[in-house]
Amino acid sequence: MGQWLAWAEAYGPNYLEAALWTLGVATTSAAGSLVWGAALFFLRMGGSGAALVDAYVQLFRNTPVLLPIYLIYFGFPLVGLVWPAAVCGGLALVLQNGAYVCEIFRGSYKAIDRVQHDAVMSLGLSRWSGFRRVVAPQMLVHALPALGNQSVLLLKDTSLLSAIAVVELTMQAKVLTERTGTAYAPFVVATAFYLVMVTAVELAFRAAQNRVRWR
Amino acid sequence: MTSGDFALMGEAALISLGLALASIFLGTLLALVITGFAFAPAAPLRVFYRTYVFLVRGTPVLLLALLMFYTLAAFWGRISPYVAGTLVLMVYLSAFIAEVVRGGVLAIPRSLWDSSRSLGLPRRSVLRHLVLPLVARYSLPPYLNICVMAVKASSVLSIISVWELTMASREIIERTLDVYRVLGVAALFYFVMCFAIDRAGRSVERRLAVRGFAGERP
Repeated sequence: MGQWLAWAEAYGPNYLEAALWTLGVATTSAAGSLVWGAALFFLRMGGSGAALVDAYVQLFRNTPVLLPIYLIYFGFPLVGLVWPAAVCGGLALVLQNGAYVCEIFRGSYKAIDRVQHDAVMSLGLSRWSGFRRVVAPQMLVHALPALGNQSVLLLKDTSLLSAIAVVELTMQAKVLTERTGTAYAPFVVATAFYLVMVTAVELAFRAAQNRVRWR
Repeated sequence: MTSGDFALMGEAALISLGLALASIFLGTLLALVITGFAFAPAAPLRVFYRTYVFLVRGTPVLLLALLMFYTLAAFWGRISPYVAGTLVLMVYLSAFIAEVVRGGVLAIPRSLWDSSRSLGLPRRSVLRHLVLPLVARYSLPPYLNICVMAVKASSVLSIISVWELTMASREIIERTLDVYRVLGVAALFYFVMCFAIDRAGRSVERRLAVRGFAGERP
């Protein structure tokens, strides 16, 4: 026990900083994915770009996220775009998770009863205000559980940024393993951090679901 | 990027596919055992199930891989990265598959349990004639998603020095700097593998479809 305390005192700050990086990348990419996913969804609904969006979604759903990470990190400097590793990784996460978010929005849009659209029309609401006041709130209710799952997946996928040397939790654990020579203790600690964060995200989404549930 | 590199990547893709298929197979077996725990009368087994699923699903694959590689190395010394990699994916997938199977069992309508009991069916026949056929149909679509996930997760093993498609791509990129073409080819290989698994699964789904059954696709 004392051994662990000494260890926490020595390396605690490293972990906290790394955890902040993980959280920072995860929340920024989650926000980005939401915006990008919504943009794709509107493009998909618009009609003309539907086939293109479908192809995009299929491509990103059927390839591992490490490929866009490497593409941006190794490929963009070749055309003169030199970005920090965290930005490259974050952008890759946004590109992939945006595809999933688009699918989630599409699914929750389809789950809305036809009658609701008829009601919007018969009330004489404009397309936009009908969407904003009637359709979008219902979509949110349908989409929340799936968005929660996707957020957890995104949070866990930030660990892949260690492959391009972003010092987030996984990378920090790797560095400490090599520096201290302890076999797996650093990884156990990192796992504990992830479990706490994943649980927090799940609880937050459950609370949000309870707030928007039908009465 | 030469045709030799292309052939090399084809070979690496087969290894990725092998890793994915082996771990899907083993992961499914492990998941079936674990799911049994979820419905066990003994509380410790149920607690074990929940803890296992929580721990494995809450940990990134990469971290799980690092943990298991170091642990396995500490206990058994040097083992083949392919064996270790398969074990990592097996454990990772088993937790997701177990949840899918558990969901399938919970989806069986109560009336069917009651009627099978009222017919006096022994446990074995209930399992064979009620649970198995229904769970197979309920769980197949989410199970397919997990199979696709297996192919994608196998790419993570490249970070811990398992030579497969992503690792091969990185090597070729470092040698040729032909980033876009190499990653394009890698994406193509992954896409074909994932798509093939998805299509194969859907044809099984159609074969299993029963008219009037709730799980039937329209």
